[in-house]
Amino acid sequence: MQGNASYLKRFLLSRSTSVLLVLILIVIFFAVFSPEHRFVDPDNLRVLLSLGAEFSIIALGVGMLMICGEFDLSVGSILAFCSFIFLKLFELHLSLLFIAVITIVVGGLLGLLNALITVRAGIPSFITTLGTMMFWRGLTILLSGGEQTACDVSALNTPAASYFLSFFTGQIGKFLPVQFFWFAIFAIILGVLLHRHRFGNWVYATGDNKDAARAMGINTDWVKTVCFIVVGLLCGFVACAQIGRLACFTSRTGDGWELKAVAASVVGGTSLRGGMGNMFGIFLGATTISVIENGLVVLRIPYFWTYVFFGLVILLSVLSSMYIERKQMEMHR
Amino acid sequence: MEAGNDILVRMVGIHKWFGRVYALRGVDFEVRRGETVGLIGDNGAGKSTLIKILSGYHQADQGEIYFEGQKVKIRSPRDARNLGIETVYQEQALAPNLSIARNIFMGREPVKKFGLMDRKAMDEESMKALANLGLRLRSPELPVVTLSGGERQGVAIARALHFKAKLVILDEPTVALSVKEVEEVLEFVRQLQREKVSVVFITHNLYHAFDIAERFVVMARGLKMADVKKEETSPQGLSELVLKSAFVAV
Ligand SMILES: Nc1ncnc2c1ncn2[C@@H]1O[C@H](COP(=O)(O)OP(=O)(O)OP(=O)(O)O)[C@@H](O)[C@H]1O
Ligand SMILES: [Mg+2]
Repeated sequence: MQGNASYLKRFLLSRSTSVLLVLILIVIFFAVFSPEHRFVDPDNLRVLLSLGAEFSIIALGVGMLMICGEFDLSVGSILAFCSFIFLKLFELHLSLLFIAVITIVVGGLLGLLNALITVRAGIPSFITTLGTMMFWRGLTILLSGGEQTACDVSALNTPAASYFLSFFTGQIGKFLPVQFFWFAIFAIILGVLLHRHRFGNWVYATGDNKDAARAMGINTDWVKTVCFIVVGLLCGFVACAQIGRLACFTSRTGDGWELKAVAASVVGGTSLRGGMGNMFGIFLGATTISVIENGLVVLRIPYFWTYVFFGLVILLSVLSSMYIERKQMEMHR
Repeated sequence: MEAGNDILVRMVGIHKWFGRVYALRGVDFEVRRGETVGLIGDNGAGKSTLIKILSGYHQADQGEIYFEGQKVKIRSPRDARNLGIETVYQEQALAPNLSIARNIFMGREPVKKFGLMDRKAMDEESMKALANLGLRLRSPELPVVTLSGGERQGVAIARALHFKAKLVILDEPTVALSVKEVEEVLEFVRQLQREKVSVVFITHNLYHAFDIAERFVVMARGLKMADVKKEETSPQGLSELVLKSAFVAV
């Protein structure tokens, strides 16, 4: 009996449980209060799951990076630059497979660049990626003239084009947008990596106590570099998916995602100091952010309210996680 | 060389600069098999720097290291651990939010296929390693932050024992511990001695040093000032040596 009670207590006090409860409450709220319950309309859910997944996929990488103690504020700009690369290659009529691979690789390289500056020069990644955020966004706007440009893969009408579209923007069965499937797949892969693989232990150790990790023979610079590259690769992947869905390039894409991704991670229980957090929590945090964004639109609340809401959710989640951590400490004693 | 092969590690003529700070000015240092050496001296004497060179955290600018008679280059903590040198740092080498098991196996996780950790082995082995030290903790999954200071040092020492260290270096393992916890840590060290592990014990508390070590090396301003056996001295004697060394003009 004692055992059961403590399991229940542990479950209720776990960070992910509280995020899950909050998420469920928010979903119920939107379902009930949206006009004609439009929030749970299959069409809206499809929009939510495909659009939200684009942001959420990137947030997964940002969360893992935060666990190893670093930030990436440049995700939105990497996304925009990758989209621009996609556009330019597309205009050259290259094969779609080649374009997608290059776009993703470019994302990885920009992640590598963030890592090299951060790790080699010992500059805090907050600063490094603030710089690259402005640099890549500026460069993208400069080179593209800041305009929207059509980039319609479906217009190609080739088998390659239809493979491409079903891979990045298709549907699984009658309902599920494939973007959400990728979001779940990436969450599972990163979750296994983080929680079951020895690399995950190095990520946590690096974020929790870098000196200890180094003293135990872990190459912390290498660990951080891999995490930065993963974020970049995910940005490249999302660039492909987004262009496929929108059929156009905009230089403003991903604007503001950097802080939303940090918010998603924090809501999901990731510590800003590194060393704490888990993939399931980050998954839920990212979903929560997407749900709020979509729900407020469906409620026809002016967009700027979104940020007021985000602010509240972040503050509440940080406060509740502090409370939970204190309770957990008491439980261990 | 007489008795050459009962020397485990020998450092010869070690020099180290940190920018303009001349931290080590040609230090010779050796540890025999199964021997416990107390490394003492004032703040900033270079004790931590010397042992961090041995544990691969820093590299010497000049000087040689011999391990079991072989000349070795220790370029990283990994090199040192591969030789069998384990360090329990002054600034604790534990990740506070990670579990006991994850800390004990940090950087050397037992794996099954594809690099996936064998978590069952990690949990069982870490409990065994702790029990070897006489330390019984409730669960290998507890985060280290929930342990007492003495227990944390126990985790670090259990890690060294588990990986069959030949030399364990403890850099001020008793600093900021209560009297009871200090006694606990000294007991862990005695367990190392019983297992014939060589120990370097750095401390500012000369009574702890005298209690645990067989030989004492006194450092001051980057130099080795004295090297005495336990039979030839007393805690008071050590205290005078440290004071005299610190004030002697170089
Ligand atoms: N990473 C470093 N960078 C620059 N200077 C350093 C570094 N580490 C040590 N020093 C300097 O080298 C000298 C020796 O320091 P060390 O830490 O080895 O002394 P210590 O004997 O361990 O002292 P304490 O008893 O206070 O721990 C000091 O002057 C210190 O300031
Ligand atoms: Mg020191």
